[in-house]
Amino acid sequence: MTQLILFNIANGLIIGAFYALMAIGLSLIMSLSDVINFAHGGFLAIGAYIAYTLSPYIGFWGGLLVAPVLTAVLGIIVEKFLISRVYGRDPLYSLLLTFGLAFIFEDGTRMIWGAQSVPYSVPNWLMTPLSNEYFFITGYRLLMIALVALAVGGLFWMMNKTRLGLRIRAGTLDLETVSVLGVNVRVLRNLNFGIGIYLAGLAGVLAAGQLGLQPTIGASLIMPSFVAIIIGGLGSLLGTLLGGLLIGVASGITSVFLPSGTEAVMYVMMALVLLVRPQGLLGEEGRF
Amino acid sequence: MTNYALEAEGLHTFYGKSHILHGVSLKVEEGKITTLLGRNGAGKSTTLRSLVGLTPAREGKVTIFGQDTTRRPPFAIAGLGVGFVPEGRKIFPNLTIEENLKVPADRPGYWTIDTVYELFPRLKERRNNKGRQLSGGEQEMLSIARALLLNPKLLILDEPSQGLAPLIVREVFNIVVRMRDQGMSVLLVEQNVRMSLEVADHAYVLNDGEIAFDGSATDLSEDEDRLQSLAGVSAEVWEI
Repeated sequence: MTQLILFNIANGLIIGAFYALMAIGLSLIMSLSDVINFAHGGFLAIGAYIAYTLSPYIGFWGGLLVAPVLTAVLGIIVEKFLISRVYGRDPLYSLLLTFGLAFIFEDGTRMIWGAQSVPYSVPNWLMTPLSNEYFFITGYRLLMIALVALAVGGLFWMMNKTRLGLRIRAGTLDLETVSVLGVNVRVLRNLNFGIGIYLAGLAGVLAAGQLGLQPTIGASLIMPSFVAIIIGGLGSLLGTLLGGLLIGVASGITSVFLPSGTEAVMYVMMALVLLVRPQGLLGEEGRF
Repeated sequence: MTNYALEAEGLHTFYGKSHILHGVSLKVEEGKITTLLGRNGAGKSTTLRSLVGLTPAREGKVTIFGQDTTRRPPFAIAGLGVGFVPEGRKIFPNLTIEENLKVPADRPGYWTIDTVYELFPRLKERRNNKGRQLSGGEQEMLSIARALLLNPKLLILDEPSQGLAPLIVREVFNIVVRMRDQGMSVLLVEQNVRMSLEVADHAYVLNDGEIAFDGSATDLSEDEDRLQSLAGVSAEVWEI
């Protein structure tokens, strides 16, 4: 029994890490651009498929390194030519645009790579359980946790120590003033979008090795990511990370005791948080 | 021949459908302080927003340092060397003083984080405090310091004295004069009529989105009737 619970907590942490990576990217874009990016899951899928396509040539590690960067480049192009056009308009425009993009990405990947799940190969030694007793702990899972920690840590460092990060944080509260201080806010929003999409791409590559790869891989992760943002508090990176991990673990534990409640538990948690602490666990007026 | 840092001609600016500025024209002479006075709601802040690119004028033309900037985005105008100290200071509350000072774009010149700390030692003392923890006076200093980091040739201030204690207002105006004396051109929007006219070289009065007075600051300070009407609803800052 203990082992079963541990198994599901570990599973929950892994899935929660995906939610968190997605949610942090979504939250960055939402805060600086006021756009709810429904296409975020589509970018995640594209990141995964890019890695799948490239890994025969550049290997698993090459794909892991290159695919998120290429996804970010795609994100930067999409922001520049499509998303930036709806800034400052009624939110309905950006919702329709990103919703449309989500469909295009999903069906685009289906056209190119097929609707069936494709095998994404991770080096064998990474998939071997580290011990018999804890069969669910593989090198790949540890690698994932390490990479997620590295990505989130890097993002924190950037937000607090680099001028780009400081300008993004300032811009989430008052983009106008950042602009009159001579900062090109078009470039700022563009780069910020790229950073958010990089995280989605990274989540995609990691998820492909863990969950398998099919065109709907992103769509299944996006709703929980919104829930993670709400639970953690909009604008708090740490809160979003926490929110993602929490709902992942809660789903994992629930699946042991009440399998039918696995999906519902995160919404119950969201409702509770909204009742008790509407700004989210770590949310406050100042974002980031 | 007089050189102008900024020239605005016939600006018409709208917020949505409301027509706020009705053909505002004004000039800021190089190396001088020009003040723009007017009652609450006269359109002073809107004028500044049109000049710095935040709310571009629908008609008319803005020329800054000889370049047509009417439709340029704010960051491009700032890049020409225009420092803006917005109404309400607009400090980033979630950043420390030092972090606030790292936001502006780099324009090489005398002003660096070190030299603004020399000008405002208080900011250096509190460098690791968040913007939201600062007093009004400290926020004003930070807002001015932030604009100076652009090494501006033209400094535009929107009601810097608002909500500050008299002693601090004096200090702020002293700094504005010092900047002028170092060759900076200044456009100063104020409710504090008396002090503005004391430091300014040229004055404009804005009324319902139109220029109602255009002349030397000395002339305006001697025009009792006009000063009385200027006081109007903002009598509380009327200190003659």
